[in-house]
Amino acid sequence: MRFGREINRLLIGLLFGFALIAAAAAYWAITGAETILQRADNPRRVLAEAAIRRGTIQDRDGTILAESVSDNGVMTRRYLHPEAYSVIGYYSQRHGTGGIEAAFDAILSGSERAASGDLRRRLEEEVLHLPRRGSDIRLTLELDVQRALVDAFAGAHGAAIVMSVPDGGVLGMISQPDFDPNLLDAHWDDLRADPGRPFFNRALQARYQPGSAAQTMLMAGALLTRQPLDTPIENAAAPFQLGDLTLSCAFALPDLELTLRDAYAFACPSPFADLVIQLDVSGVQGLFDTFRIGALPSLIGADTAAVSGGGAAPAPQMIVTADNLLAEALGQGSWGLTSLEMATIAAGIVNDGNAPQPTILAAIRHPDSQTWITADTARPTLAIATISTARGLQDLMRSAAAFGAAGNAARSFLDIGGHVGLAYTGEQTLAWFVGFVTVDIRRAAVVVIVLEDSRDLGLAADIGGTALAQAWETLQSSAAIP
Amino acid sequence: MIAAGGFITVNLIALQLQNPAQDKVWLLFGVWTTCALIGNALSARLLPHRDPMLFPLILFMSGWGLIGIQRLAPNFAERQMVWLIISTLALLVVLALPNILTLLRAFRYTLLVTGLALLVGTILLGTNPSGQAGAPELWLGFGTVFFQPSEPLKIILVAFLASYLAEQYPALRAEGIDTTGKRRIWTISPRIGGPILLMWGISIIVLIWQRDLGTAILFFLVFLLLLYVASGFTPLLIGGALLVAVAGVVAYQLFAVVRLRIDIWVNPWLEADGRAYQIVQSLMAFAAGGIFGQGIAQGAPTFVPVAHSDFIFAALAEEWGLLGVITVIGCFAILIARGLRVAARLSTAPRSRPFHTLFAVGLTTVFGVQALLIMGGVLKLVPLTGVTLPFFSYGGSSLLISFIAVGLLMRLSSEAEQD
Repeated sequence: MRFGREINRLLIGLLFGFALIAAAAAYWAITGAETILQRADNPRRVLAEAAIRRGTIQDRDGTILAESVSDNGVMTRRYLHPEAYSVIGYYSQRHGTGGIEAAFDAILSGSERAASGDLRRRLEEEVLHLPRRGSDIRLTLELDVQRALVDAFAGAHGAAIVMSVPDGGVLGMISQPDFDPNLLDAHWDDLRADPGRPFFNRALQARYQPGSAAQTMLMAGALLTRQPLDTPIENAAAPFQLGDLTLSCAFALPDLELTLRDAYAFACPSPFADLVIQLDVSGVQGLFDTFRIGALPSLIGADTAAVSGGGAAPAPQMIVTADNLLAEALGQGSWGLTSLEMATIAAGIVNDGNAPQPTILAAIRHPDSQTWITADTARPTLAIATISTARGLQDLMRSAAAFGAAGNAARSFLDIGGHVGLAYTGEQTLAWFVGFVTVDIRRAAVVVIVLEDSRDLGLAADIGGTALAQAWETLQSSAAIP
Repeated sequence: MIAAGGFITVNLIALQLQNPAQDKVWLLFGVWTTCALIGNALSARLLPHRDPMLFPLILFMSGWGLIGIQRLAPNFAERQMVWLIISTLALLVVLALPNILTLLRAFRYTLLVTGLALLVGTILLGTNPSGQAGAPELWLGFGTVFFQPSEPLKIILVAFLASYLAEQYPALRAEGIDTTGKRRIWTISPRIGGPILLMWGISIIVLIWQRDLGTAILFFLVFLLLLYVASGFTPLLIGGALLVAVAGVVAYQLFAVVRLRIDIWVNPWLEADGRAYQIVQSLMAFAAGGIFGQGIAQGAPTFVPVAHSDFIFAALAEEWGLLGVITVIGCFAILIARGLRVAARLSTAPRSRPFHTLFAVGLTTVFGVQALLIMGGVLKLVPLTGVTLPFFSYGGSSLLISFIAVGLLMRLSSEAEQD
């Protein structure tokens, strides 16, 4: 056979070449696939991300706050209500997520279902290669409360939280200044450089010194130790010198004799300095431990660490000593509270000593369903005070709102209580308002307002009163969240 | 043919469902079905003793390629449909001409000179259909029709070499054999060395003048393998490989296009967004396809630049997965095996037909080497050479010449059976 041996060898050589090609293809398709697909310069990742239909974000009434719309298969996120900008945050293919978009990203993007091994999802994504669809979320948030807060802030910097009691649902939450997430990509560099730090979610992450807002907790100590509330105290309105810092009442008051109740209503520091000395180190430490300072929960079910750059700074361990007793107890020491933590304490007071754990997620609706599933956010309340102490504090706050420095919060025909306080942090002064409104025998709402670089306690109380009135209206008329 | 028809139909339906706006899908189906039915029926009538697997196999491959082109670059699909009709007709003409093999052998010098003249013509009048500045000008343009002279040269050169080697093989096989009957491997006489150097020279000229690395390597490798089959002299392959290596080193120093292709072959990751974008995207397409593929029109193979042409193998990998890739490789393996089976039968036929045998080997080797070069390049096994994947890639000249080559193989298979 002429050429037979060579033809056979040629055939074997060529087939060996094809086998090598098949082996190389198998390597890139199986063994090397994961590495190469994870490369940042893989445009397929961008394409897949752009095709994801994120779920909508809705307020408690079903008003859509954020939605994804398709433009030739590329999804664009739209934010529909400016008053919700600061709480909703942003989603950007280029810059990631912030705010609620970040806190519930796994649900909104559908990655939570992807990880769960859901059969229908696997069929859609892995066999039919349909773009991933995220679940819709309904928040406890009420757009009218948001609007009331944003309007009342009128450009001031700071944070506010409105929470319903006893469920702990956040009705309103703002951080000012905010930004328009619809224009995020265009303004990213400017926003990053903005000294007002609009990306910083002050409501969840800013740990503010409480200053005289800590007097509510000290008043709990006074009630527990049965201090006389209505006995006149000399020089009660006089400023108190704490090191280099001069602490004074909310308003400049004439040199009057005030009771402890009055001192609380006008946030005067001197009587509380005396009270702290009476309570002593162990009493103050025990008091703050009871209020769980440093151990208060954040939003249930939310990845608050993802909200914008790592969440709130960890709460410092609060250790009261003889050296730092006055500074720590008068709220000018090393510890701080987020607005959410202060709202939790206020909710505990108005809920007869049992603080609800805060939540903002009400319900979830999967993309292939019409049914809203109530979010699994039920958690036990935290005992922070006895019933009698809590009710005592409620009364004191009612008095403060009725005739004290928190008077701007009062609204006709509403059962409102509140307390204002000033805190000094470096060169900045913070104006606090902490208040509540009762709706019926079981339901109430609390509000915390913090104005940065402001001594305007009247404005803080006024914003608080506006927010409480709106919250009252919402809770009065609200149907149960599905 | 029924299996091929089923595959084409299912994929066209899937493509239509994914892209309802594409209105030419059913025209494409009609054209392919007509070519398949008429071509199969006529080839059976013209050559009853042909290898019956060859025509359905290439129809399957070209149909799959057509679907790929419709998916990746719909604007080119209509033109490729026309070329499929022309190619099928050309194949049938080849089958209808009983003395075509004799003619090819008789006019080998005339054909070779004509082929080389057309090649030289591209040096003077060459163009590139893309119109891109700096792109290799390997085509001759006639209005809106472009033709690549290096394509017919593949058949002409193989016919010429087969004819030359059929006459010279007894002498080649006697070369260097001493009185004891053993071969002195260091002996390279002008009878062997001369044609090697001549062919190497032609390949280098193609490379220098046309900057067509793929055609140059293809011509040289096909020639080398054909010479090996004719002479049975194994060291030729080692010597030839050394010559390729030397040419590669020299070309790397002299030509930017060669330097680019070797640099991005060695390490494409450094320039994944730049010069190596195409090969990196190609590898990503294989990775994205995985085992089962993304499904037709559901992947993103258009991230690979000109995926419908040289890189159609990567596009198929993304949408049909490793299973599709192995099917494509299997098709070529069957084509090669059937082609070399024809050659083997001719070599054992009672009538002495060395030209026919070597011609079948040459034609088959062209398909095998060309497929290996482009598939290996797309997978980063070898540097990219810029040749098309026969039957699959967009390109009229390539499709036409591939069909004619298979037509010639079918005629050779018929003659082998008749012997």
